[in-house]
Amino acid sequence: MLTEVTPRPRASGRAGPLAGILPTVLIVWGFVGAYLLQLSIDRAGESRMREKAVEEMTYFPSGRFLQESTIEFQSLAADLVWLRGIQYYGFHLMSDRKYEWLGHVFDILTSLDPRFIGAYHFGAITLAWDAGKPYEAVDFLISGMKANPMSWQIPFDAGFICYMLLRDYGRASTFFEVASKMPGSWFILARWAAIAKAKSGDFQTAREMWLDILRNTENRALKALVVRQLKNLDLSEAIDLLQKAVHRFQEDRQRLPTDLRELTTAGYIARIPEEPFGGRFYFKDGKVLTTTPPSQRE
Amino acid sequence: MMGRVSAVALNTFRESIRDKVLVTLIIFAVFVMGSARVIQPLALGEEAKIIKDVGLSAITLFSVLIAVLIGGRIVYREVEKRTIYIILARPVRRWEFILGKYLGLMAVLVVSLVVMTAAFIAILFILGVAPQLYLLLAVLATFFELVVLTAVAVLFSTFSTPITGAVFTFAVYFVGHLSRDLKLLAAMSPSPIVKAMSYVFYYVLPNLGNFNIRPEVVYGAPLDPYALLLSGLYALVYAATLLLISATIFNRREF
Repeated sequence: MLTEVTPRPRASGRAGPLAGILPTVLIVWGFVGAYLLQLSIDRAGESRMREKAVEEMTYFPSGRFLQESTIEFQSLAADLVWLRGIQYYGFHLMSDRKYEWLGHVFDILTSLDPRFIGAYHFGAITLAWDAGKPYEAVDFLISGMKANPMSWQIPFDAGFICYMLLRDYGRASTFFEVASKMPGSWFILARWAAIAKAKSGDFQTAREMWLDILRNTENRALKALVVRQLKNLDLSEAIDLLQKAVHRFQEDRQRLPTDLRELTTAGYIARIPEEPFGGRFYFKDGKVLTTTPPSQRE
Repeated sequence: MMGRVSAVALNTFRESIRDKVLVTLIIFAVFVMGSARVIQPLALGEEAKIIKDVGLSAITLFSVLIAVLIGGRIVYREVEKRTIYIILARPVRRWEFILGKYLGLMAVLVVSLVVMTAAFIAILFILGVAPQLYLLLAVLATFFELVVLTAVAVLFSTFSTPITGAVFTFAVYFVGHLSRDLKLLAAMSPSPIVKAMSYVFYYVLPNLGNFNIRPEVVYGAPLDPYALLLSGLYALVYAATLLLISATIFNRREF
């Protein structure tokens, strides 16, 4: 059976400037224009980046407020704060090395996601070593221990800061002991608890502790910090070795050596150790010093 | 040509301004701005900041909702009601139709922005906060954002249903506000593929973060007029490109 087919009404308006290759060319040019403008906007913003970074952190509301306002996306919000926090850390590490808002960032982060162990770990180490706030770092870790009572990493970090920076060996030993009793903890923690109890603060133990942290992290920024600290340890050990040799020289000969090379020629040391930051050791007023300025060692 | 474009724009404006969704959203925006009065006693000295924050955020959020919800069905509605056949049977080019629809919707958004800003200033007066002209810069930046976002909504409207279009436009809105993180990802990623992809997305997707100057405005922090000018220019170029894509897609559709 044949049915009558009513043709669809055909609308017009298709010809005109949009035929041919012209629209594609214009669209590509449009995106190129947007790209160039975005580059200019970014460049205009970069000049104010430092003040903006600080401003931004000032405007950053408290973690508790964010906890309420991010409803069910707290974990996602924490991830975004983590990225911003790393950006903030990286920016100041490459510029002025002032970390005014670092504690605030990690406080927000752990309020949003109290089980973010990596944030406690990275936050405490950078707060203690880079921002120079070891007490704040330990308080931050204690709040983390309350939220994560079964984590060994957090009390370990607290013990590590107490041992290395605060030289509070009793407290360090307690933290290491707590950490060693947690499931999945490092077997060496019990040994570290004993070392801390014996109050031995030698270079080799410190080096082993830093190396254990290096082996246990995937965080590139933290790895860079550990490498810096290991170099600092090498530097301190080398200066200690040279200084002791100078003292022995002085005791034996009742005078100071003319320069460090005299220590090797006189047989007090086999050779002058290598300066880990690429500088050189020198001798002034009875003290062994390095040419590397402190700003390049931190 | 401009006569035909303005005829479509005027018709779109007349149709959309009577839309119940628009009226409801504006009333709701004013209600949200007024709710700052409830927060006022709890603000502990930060009343002025909170009232400004709530007001400016409500203006932005509800304008975005209007652009997405009305813009998402602006072309689709004509196709669904088959009025497109009547319009295109007349001497109206398809790109003129798209441009007219866009301009009509932008006119609706300008009226909505003016109404909401007037309500905001009235609320500031009522709550005893001195309104500053400086605050209007945030509204201007929101307008730039709407220039881009409306073009996104119109683009999706040319080939998808209103719901799908609204979802896509919201997705672009969220990603557009996270582009700084895309750039950060590009800078930090060790993988060259991820790096290249992130940079491509950063520059191709609209960077709506350019238009968020609310924190600076509320705190009275200095603004860079050059950056604001560049942002306005960026909005124009980006919207024009999207409208060109919309017109090209619409041109290829069979009616």
